Amino acid sequence: MPKVDTGSFHPLFWWLWALTILVILLVADSTLISFSVSLGAVALVLLKRSNTYWYQSFRWALRLAALAFVLRMAIGVVIGVPMPGQVLFTIPRITLPDLFVGVRLGGEVTSQRLSTAFDEAMLLVALILIFAAANALSNPHELLRVLPRRYYAIGLATVIASSVAPQSARSIQRVRAARRLRGKKSTGIASFRNVGIPVLEESLERSIDLAASLESRGYGYFPNPSRYRPHIWRFRETLALASPVYGLIFVLLLPALSGVLLACLLLIAVITPGFI
Amino acid sequence: MITFSNVSLIYPNAQRTIVEDITFTVNEGELLLLIGHTGAGKSSLLKLINGLIPHHTGGILTGEISVDGRSTRALRPGELADVVGIVGQNPINGFVSDVVEDEIAFGLESLGIAPEIMRKRVEEVLDLLALAPLRRRNISELSGGEQQRVAIAAALVTNPKVLLLDEPTSALDPIAAEEVLSILHRLVHDLGLTVILAEHRLERVIGFVDRIILIHGDGSMDLGPARQILNDSSIAPPLVELARKLKLGDIPLSIREFRKNAPQIKESEVEPVRKAKGAAILKIDSVSASYDEGRKVHALDGVSLEINGGEIVALMGRNGAGKTTLLRCAVGTAPLIKGEVRVKERDPEALTDKELIEFVGYIPQDAGDLLYGQSIEDECDLADSDNGVESGATLSIYQELMKIPGLNSHPRDISEGQRLGLALSIILAAQPSLVILDEPTRGLDYEAKKVLIKNLKSIASDTNRAVFISTHDVELVAEVADRVIFLSDGQVIADGSRQEVLKASPAFAPQVSKALPNNTWLCLSDVERFLNAKN
Repeated sequence: MPKVDTGSFHPLFWWLWALTILVILLVADSTLISFSVSLGAVALVLLKRSNTYWYQSFRWALRLAALAFVLRMAIGVVIGVPMPGQVLFTIPRITLPDLFVGVRLGGEVTSQRLSTAFDEAMLLVALILIFAAANALSNPHELLRVLPRRYYAIGLATVIASSVAPQSARSIQRVRAARRLRGKKSTGIASFRNVGIPVLEESLERSIDLAASLESRGYGYFPNPSRYRPHIWRFRETLALASPVYGLIFVLLLPALSGVLLACLLLIAVITPGFI
Repeated sequence: MITFSNVSLIYPNAQRTIVEDITFTVNEGELLLLIGHTGAGKSSLLKLINGLIPHHTGGILTGEISVDGRSTRALRPGELADVVGIVGQNPINGFVSDVVEDEIAFGLESLGIAPEIMRKRVEEVLDLLALAPLRRRNISELSGGEQQRVAIAAALVTNPKVLLLDEPTSALDPIAAEEVLSILHRLVHDLGLTVILAEHRLERVIGFVDRIILIHGDGSMDLGPARQILNDSSIAPPLVELARKLKLGDIPLSIREFRKNAPQIKESEVEPVRKAKGAAILKIDSVSASYDEGRKVHALDGVSLEINGGEIVALMGRNGAGKTTLLRCAVGTAPLIKGEVRVKERDPEALTDKELIEFVGYIPQDAGDLLYGQSIEDECDLADSDNGVESGATLSIYQELMKIPGLNSHPRDISEGQRLGLALSIILAAQPSLVILDEPTRGLDYEAKKVLIKNLKSIASDTNRAVFISTHDVELVAEVADRVIFLSDGQVIADGSRQEVLKASPAFAPQVSKALPNNTWLCLSDVERFLNAKN
């Protein structure tokens, strides 16, 4: 048998890890836990740093998370229903036509409203970072090989979806460099046309090429595909996946545990696979 | 093996048919060459054979195509995977794994070949394409030539009966191209493989092929023995053109054939064209640089060179020798480790964007990176305003350069060669002092190449401007270059006139020089000058 790559986890591992943490986040519904999970995801990616292009995409995910946070906070401050609590400051209210009953623009911003917005923004950040971490740590090409080949369309869609972000991160650098050659520095929103469109077009083109290549090599057409270098789910993966599962059990069974302690435990549970 | 009967193909909303009512048969074990102008539909014809058109790309197909008795209309490309292997123009986009070995095994996995047999087949193909030392390497770190070999290996591993290749040697250096072609030749002769090859650089392949398909671009095509097609084709390699110029009766297909009945030409002294040289435009002083930010590997290792105004300098060397990195130094995008780069006494990294386009025009290997318009026309207008030139300037250069314009097409939909022509027009319109081209003849036909050569020569006739080209195309170098710099493993190993460098090694010798070894000529225009002087 060809040598099995022992350095990395099974291609599905990080996605299972992300799903487990997703459940934790939804069950716990606590800002402190969202925060500790986000922190854990960033630490984990830094810990497993590699020079691969799918890793490079994490930088863009950080920006996306920051953007999501800012947007959610801004919406929380500007739009919303009246909420009780101490009034922190007041922004001028804009009266909307009767069509938008119950929606308010501006008005009094209370502590309650601000903290709700903050909770939801943190949850959003945690979700983005967890899936970005899974994306940054697993190799999209390897994923293709472990998905059942009979479901051609599913495999293809998954691979294209999971490789678009990392490949685009790479294209952005290249297209940006090329844009300077056309005498245009690209910054801000104006750069969308100059950099965004070519990058999107390129990722579309690459996806079509990849699909054509898979198709012309018989992917998904023959009943019993075989494996050259099988990916084996070893004890190592089970061990590493055990830590977020324990995290989930803590959250489910020990609601009485103090928030800070639980957050610390979860931080450890998120990072542990990085050391296995 | 392959039969086309009354096949027509048209894309919805397209103005012209790609092929119209074509009928032909390809026999088993034939090596067929597909030629035609840039954008004439060579890639489309290849994709018709394995069913990617119309199953994957759409398009309206009439008539019947069958491969090994199976109809491509009834079967999807995946169901033909055991009969037809295809290698696309950009193999990098089609790779489905990261490791060489896994990529090659992929096709076998899909077909469900037993692991023991799979292992053996992979080993065989690794050996056949000399990839064994690279088996555990990451594909994205390989050079263009190595990637091309991996793509061919991945298509060959399933033992298909038909192999389709879209410009397999255009990204390769002459030696790597020779290797790939001789492998194909061997496969055809030993295994009876049927190979169809689309290629622009006929000089490399013409000696190997049995028959030629010439696609005219208006839907019609000719199929015949190589000699017959080339006899009256406007697409012809330098050797054929040389024979025409010297009025030899029969068209030679190889250097050997030419020499057999070549006239002995006494070369009289023809005044070499003296060119005025201007001040230094590009100065590179003991530069070491890496491929990427943060990588420790040196792509360049203490390179020093100078390019003066009025010069056309060609940069040659094997795939992965550091040519692109050297070119990138001149626009300040390569990560320098030490040394100094000066463009007209200025540091390119410190130039403002506006100054940069006045100083340097650079076309990267993937010319599409430069483009962001929504149609060719739109792109030309954008370029006019970016470059601050009068409107219409870019478009007129483009129309001169390209045979089949199709101005409403999206820049992503046109062929590789057309994209290059478009990027070239944009750069030429800005009139920079230094024009840098990375592999400018990929996908260009002979006529477009002639226009390119004319344009480059007119740039260099100005002593304040210079051209720096990296290329594998020895014929281009023979025609345009004043000086040739040879790079190997990040170091300059030769720097001299084209005479000295090209004549020194047989692998890099152009056809004219091989055909007439006793003369000093390197290219057709040298011969032309002599013939004109004689008359």
